[in-house]
Amino acid sequence: MKDTQPFDHRPDPELGAALRAALEPKDDQKAFVARVMAQYERALDRSTVPTLDVLASWFRPGIAAAVAALIVGFLFGRTVLTPAPASIEAAMAPLEGPGLAALVTAQDPPDASVVFASLVDQR
Amino acid sequence: MFAEREGGAGGLGGGAGGAGAQPPTGAARMGSSEEDKGLVAKSLAGDRDAFGVLVERYAQQARRVARAVLGDPDDADDAAQDGFLSALVKLAQYDTRRPFGPWLMRIVANAATDRRRRRNVRQAEPLDPALVGGGPRPDAVAIRNELGARLQTALGELSERRRMAVVLFDVEGYSHAEIAGILGIPEGTVRSEVFHARRRLRTLLADWKEQAR
Repeated sequence: MKDTQPFDHRPDPELGAALRAALEPKDDQKAFVARVMAQYERALDRSTVPTLDVLASWFRPGIAAAVAALIVGFLFGRTVLTPAPASIEAAMAPLEGPGLAALVTAQDPPDASVVFASLVDQR
Repeated sequence: MFAEREGGAGGLGGGAGGAGAQPPTGAARMGSSEEDKGLVAKSLAGDRDAFGVLVERYAQQARRVARAVLGDPDDADDAAQDGFLSALVKLAQYDTRRPFGPWLMRIVANAATDRRRRRNVRQAEPLDPALVGGGPRPDAVAIRNELGARLQTALGELSERRRMAVVLFDVEGYSHAEIAGILGIPEGTVRSEVFHARRRLRTLLADWKEQAR
């Protein structure tokens, strides 16, 4: 074995051979290469699924989801967003006497007695 | 985790070399580097055979480097496989002006380090006391196995960086600059790590030779 030199630029053949023997895989290299290539093939197969097949597999669920969303949206819009129609006449119509109409159409703030009278009239 | 940097000249690194093979040097490495670039280009174009040639070419080297990190051969093979597949995914990012070997070894080393962290793998099996001394004189294979076991134990006692540095330098034949690129450390640190690792391993080798006489 050659003399040890700090920062030697040359590989040590004897030490290298001993280390190589210690680290060298004992089994056949071909088996390892075959194993890597099998993984390679699998990875390749996974990455080359045709795009149209993917789209086709989502076609039916996509259509169903879109139809369901339309129905839900329509019902929601009809029941929640549209307020119940009410005419101003109906709102203003007194049940009995002029109490409520006088209260709503007055220019000045109502007197407490008028409000009270209106409430009494409605009962 | 090792750096995303690459070193200087190319490194085939004796992909299918045997136990006694020497690290590749000079023109052979450069020529292989040119071949590698062609194979990378073909692999990128979807040529499976070209990728297969790259795997064959670097399989042994990748397995040794992974084993230097992990110790356990099965874990090392898993890590080497992860490294190859990761390299395939990143192949479009590979700069063909640079050598392929250090780029791939950096990915393999990272894969091995990741695996070691995830599984908390021990660096090396403890040595069987029966092998250390005494007993009947073993045959040549057993002697080699014993030395291998001792070296693996000694490697396991080194820090991961030191272990990687000496294996990449003395086993795989990479230059200090290339190893600096693979490990993401300054070149001077690589020299220091190689020196300290060698000192430890040479002592062990010398002791073993003394006992084997």
